[in-house]
Amino acid sequence: MARYEILAHTADTGIVAYGSTLEEVFANAAFGMFGLTFGPPAAPVAEERHIEAEGQGLDELLVAWLSEILAIAEIEGLVFTSFRVAEMGQGRVVGTASGSPVEGVELAGPPVKAVTYHDLEVVETSTGWRARVIFDV
Amino acid sequence: MAFRRTGAVTWELSPEGGMRVPGRVFASEALFSKAESDRAIDQVANVAHLPGIVEASFAMPDIHWGYGFPIGGVAATDVDSGGVVSPGGVGFDICCGVRLLASNLDETAFRRHQGLIMGELDARVPRGLGKGSIAGKRLLKAVLERGAAAVLDAGFGVPGDLERCEEHGTSEGADLAVVSDRAQERGGGQLGSLGAGNHFLEIQVVDRIEDPEAAEAFGLAAGMVTVMIHCGSRGLGHQTCTDQLAEMGKAMSRHGIEVPDRQLACVPVRSKEGERYLGAMAASANFAWANRHVLADGTRRAFAAALGTTKLGMDLVFDVAHNLAKIERHMVNGKERTLCVHRKGATRAFGPGHPELPDDLRSVGQPVLIPGSMGTASWVLRGVEGNPAFATAAHGAGRLMSRKKAKKQHTGIEVKRGLEEQGITVRPGSVRLLAEEAPYAYKDVDEVIDVCARAGLAAPVARLRPLGVVKG
Repeated sequence: MARYEILAHTADTGIVAYGSTLEEVFANAAFGMFGLTFGPPAAPVAEERHIEAEGQGLDELLVAWLSEILAIAEIEGLVFTSFRVAEMGQGRVVGTASGSPVEGVELAGPPVKAVTYHDLEVVETSTGWRARVIFDV
Repeated sequence: MAFRRTGAVTWELSPEGGMRVPGRVFASEALFSKAESDRAIDQVANVAHLPGIVEASFAMPDIHWGYGFPIGGVAATDVDSGGVVSPGGVGFDICCGVRLLASNLDETAFRRHQGLIMGELDARVPRGLGKGSIAGKRLLKAVLERGAAAVLDAGFGVPGDLERCEEHGTSEGADLAVVSDRAQERGGGQLGSLGAGNHFLEIQVVDRIEDPEAAEAFGLAAGMVTVMIHCGSRGLGHQTCTDQLAEMGKAMSRHGIEVPDRQLACVPVRSKEGERYLGAMAASANFAWANRHVLADGTRRAFAAALGTTKLGMDLVFDVAHNLAKIERHMVNGKERTLCVHRKGATRAFGPGHPELPDDLRSVGQPVLIPGSMGTASWVLRGVEGNPAFATAAHGAGRLMSRKKAKKQHTGIEVKRGLEEQGITVRPGSVRLLAEEAPYAYKDVDEVIDVCARAGLAAPVARLRPLGVVKG
């Protein structure tokens, strides 16, 4: 199963992420968000950051998780390529994002500015979980 | 969705379902059918659900699919009758906008020094993921409070710059307490930077004057070389909108508001949350005014370094925002009302005589700056009397093709070569990304301008042709 696919959208860019568990679909959505801008991971993992986010309902929680990772990446000048969700429940997700410095990394697509709620979806399927997210770029 | 044609360039959707007002789109047949083929038209109908919206949910001729609001969407809500403010009606790039400088060079003089000037700009204009040209916590605080006036005091630009800037470069009512530490951390080091995506700095020559009187008042003449800068509030604005959207999701149920799309989250303007948003928005707008002011200062320095003189004109023609919500007075059903006018990818266009215009422009109307896509013309228009959409005009060419589709047509290198064959020098932040911003990915800007003129949104003043581009 592909970790994510890119959706075509006239103004912006979105993804559909897949996972066999809810934890995995959250990790793969983050992987897809960085994949849009940077393509497949190129540099070895050198840094790891603790990520914690809160939101009511799975939709809000996914936006909060992705927004938190995006903000930390921009502030610290990192490209994250690997994600792990350690705990999830009661409107809270805790995990890690790992990657390397952004300096010198070539862009494969426009940098993601933000995570939108438009057409947002986190659903359980017969094979696991699927999430659709549109980004503002 | 049954829009019916009500005029040569107007289309209307009568209220249905939860729509409180009609949907009204200004477009030619070709532009309307493009908007119909994606879901932008549905988004016009969704915006019509906002509590307190008056007259219509409008869309400009460059309408295209956004998220929540369409890009090119305009919605005014009646502040004194429960009217709401919606962060999605402003967008993540709060106060994204366009600034135009006019030099005293002509095309021949520019061509003589083109390599040097483009080289200086390439070296001096921070863009892409990189940091900005200036930083400092104390300066950031002043910038969030006072916008372009704060960076003027810090030694950037000239006093005349503020006169020719929408809101004089300072949005009133900034509330720093609402701008999160995260937003300040994210944007703090980015002042004086273009960013990436569709943002740019372009050298253009005035190739046609449509309205000599207005052009003279704006400081434009045929053959004059100009510089257009398009960018916004960078990570600071993006984070502020993200923070506010999360808060507003919770607040909406307290106010008993329901909207057809979570991205349209909104609260009454006259509520604690509404005031918090407007305070945060004003602070982010101040960052954007200051950002364009610093970039213009860097541009002047680059030209001076390349040509060995500072006597190059480089006066500010005007600076406009195209992502902002503003409290303005307008006539509704024959009565003057206080409205919160959201312009998402749309430009304020005050007509002649408006008290907020600088003295030397009051008789002709506000300059409206409409960039085309990379490699195509841009336009300067002027605000006119009787604008049918709360003094608003278009903001650009409007995307036609998804980024994915655009990338399939040609590579970035091919796009760069094609532009250089037309005499347009390109200094991209990323060559690969040029493919997504290629001219064919956008609608024809001349058609957008034609509709603006025919619909009485704004009147053409001058057409600008590109000579060189520094892309984010």
